[in-house]
Amino acid sequence: MNFLRQLSVLLRMNLLGLPQRMGLVCTTVIGVTCAVGVLVSMLAMGVGARQQAMGNVRPDRVTLLSVGALGPAQSSIPKNMAVLIPDLPGIRRNAKGDPIVVPQASVFMTARRKLSGTPVGFPIFGSGMRLIDYTPELVLTGGRMFRPGLPELIASNYCARQYQQFGVGDTRTIQGRNWRVVGNFDLGHTGGTCVVYADVDTVLSAFGRDSYNQINVMLQSPATFNQLVDAIKANPVLRVEARHEADLVAQNMQQVDGILNFVSYFIGAILALAATIGAANSLYAVVDSRRRELATLRAVGFSGLPIVVSILSEAIILALPGALIGAGLAWLFFNGRAANPFGFQFHLVVTSSLTLLGVTWALCMGLIGGLLPAVRAARVPVTVALRAT
Amino acid sequence: MKFLPLIWSGLWRKPGRTILILLQVAVAFGLFGVLQGMKTGMDEAVAKVRADLLLVVPSAVGGTPLPLADLQQLRAIRGVKEVTYAGGLAGTYQKPTQVVGVLAIEPSDAWLTLVPEIFTVSAEDLKALRKTRTGALITADIGKKYGWHVGDRIALTTSTLQSNGSGTWYFDIVGMVTDHEPGESGLIVTSYAYLDAARALDKGTVRNFYVVVSDPKQAAAMADTIDRTFVNSSSSTRTFSLHENAEQAVQSIGDLNFAIRSIVSAVLLAIVFATATMTMQTVRERAPELAVLKTVGFGNRAVFLLVATEALLVCIVASLLGLALAWIAFPLAGKYVPGLSMPVQVVMLGVVGAVFVALLSVTLPALRAARLNVIDALAGR
Repeated sequence: MNFLRQLSVLLRMNLLGLPQRMGLVCTTVIGVTCAVGVLVSMLAMGVGARQQAMGNVRPDRVTLLSVGALGPAQSSIPKNMAVLIPDLPGIRRNAKGDPIVVPQASVFMTARRKLSGTPVGFPIFGSGMRLIDYTPELVLTGGRMFRPGLPELIASNYCARQYQQFGVGDTRTIQGRNWRVVGNFDLGHTGGTCVVYADVDTVLSAFGRDSYNQINVMLQSPATFNQLVDAIKANPVLRVEARHEADLVAQNMQQVDGILNFVSYFIGAILALAATIGAANSLYAVVDSRRRELATLRAVGFSGLPIVVSILSEAIILALPGALIGAGLAWLFFNGRAANPFGFQFHLVVTSSLTLLGVTWALCMGLIGGLLPAVRAARVPVTVALRAT
Repeated sequence: MKFLPLIWSGLWRKPGRTILILLQVAVAFGLFGVLQGMKTGMDEAVAKVRADLLLVVPSAVGGTPLPLADLQQLRAIRGVKEVTYAGGLAGTYQKPTQVVGVLAIEPSDAWLTLVPEIFTVSAEDLKALRKTRTGALITADIGKKYGWHVGDRIALTTSTLQSNGSGTWYFDIVGMVTDHEPGESGLIVTSYAYLDAARALDKGTVRNFYVVVSDPKQAAAMADTIDRTFVNSSSSTRTFSLHENAEQAVQSIGDLNFAIRSIVSAVLLAIVFATATMTMQTVRERAPELAVLKTVGFGNRAVFLLVATEALLVCIVASLLGLALAWIAFPLAGKYVPGLSMPVQVVMLGVVGAVFVALLSVTLPALRAARLNVIDALAGR
């Protein structure tokens, strides 16, 4: 009880004294603001990238790859194996009663940017016609769907906006043949990339290939995944593995995620270190200027622990607004701002969990920075300090 | 010079404070050094890439590879000095997660000088590759990773089938290469003849050609000429110079410059504020001492200079310390970010930045010190 009473008196003293030390107070607050602001903004990039990548993911979508393939690029499923897939159990059927199975072959080509004319890569996904059932988030905003057997493309609106020759009616030369862009579409959350679809068999014959990269199937429900896997295992001819859509997307994100996280925490940690040192320094100055006051308190019977806790509390109280301002500035300046590292575009997202992380970091900075000055305050030798001028 | 002891004792009046400020500024400039070093490192790497080297690849990745027969046509194009080629396959060693890339090259002497900044191989190693049909050269990194040594025979599992139906390829390690391509530590080099003779499909094709042109200024025009030559063939090409490619790779990292500038400004802002308040605090505490100095004849300007020099000294020493720290940290960060370097310009920029920070933060406190009223200060008011 005594401890709490002493602490509350000390805290009130500390807080009432803050306006007189505005400069030192601001050092701590600004240091923490910068550290948290930079950390939150940089992590917001990772969150934005993840959100965009995972935004369209559905638990009932499964991709079949050839056994041992790390991703679609290393996977190859021959046509004669692919024809067996629609007969597997657990696959949803569309309104006409056809199983939703979409064989896909990907090819990467180069387009030119509208503004600079510099070349940039984009993928063409040769797709089966059940694509409309498999990706309900694909919404045509102009033109129509491609037709089987014809050299026709549909391109996402990002391509049409950013790159040359992707509007409806444009033609592109692919493998010595003219392909017509017949439609433009939006693709849910994946607004920041150029995606092009065409008929899969037309793509395969144009590029002289006879196997798909992957086969996408839509499940009746997420629970029928095991049914599908068991049926694949039971048939030795089917040398394919089923992977959840979320799995593959997460695997794709891993590298970018790793780099972004490393850079964010690396820079964030350095700034936090600088802010912690700054906080410690200004608290030392505060303790030094209050030596006589603290010695007097000790002399009239205040014990060491409440003094330590009161200084630590002051450090935390100063760090908190720093964290909130930092996260607030990050939100104000960067939330929703487009970033395009590594060639794809996404929007930064400042979330409440990021803010919470920033606050946690700030608390640590306050605690660590306040520790030594607090101990020093409690150890002020009473007689020496009182005698000093 | 005679004021040096005075400045020195001023600095160490409160050793804890000076050291903490020194550390804080050093940490900030350490970060500055790393970020700036990253940028200049990338710019330098781009500038170093050969401008006379063109890469010829299929116009579509995932489509048909290029026929080796194109080689004759490429050599016949005017302005082409040298052409070589490579094929490749991707395999895994023991576990599906241990991916190893296999680059299959024509073991010609062109490789001695082709892309020295990325790939260096000695004449003896090339000779060894020519002598052993199933020979392979490995990088030191991959050798260490899997415990491979010259003389070992290794087996890679691939999706590229051999004529006998097997997807397992054997290689005899006969020498070493150095490969500086970031993120490609998992690479071995073998001879194209072995790959092409043994594989079941895609015989007589290459993954890409390397074309050295005689006039680097004509590189872009040559690239267009090459693409036009093959535009109506069944395997159209895309030709680009490695230099142009490197430039684009840097551009694709996009807002790097903006991010670096924002972070550096945030750091400098915090530092300016911290040093300013700390100097202000010091001046306030030392008011009586400064008043004594004035009493014994120091002018306002001398006092100003005294306080300013102290702060300048701390900032410059701290910035050098920070840059040195960054330089020490480069090999560690190099694992994640390739091409870090710290040329003299970055050090200069850092020191100029430190002087700027010091001047910005010290002007107000030093002015206050200079304008100190002697009587008030001595009376402790």
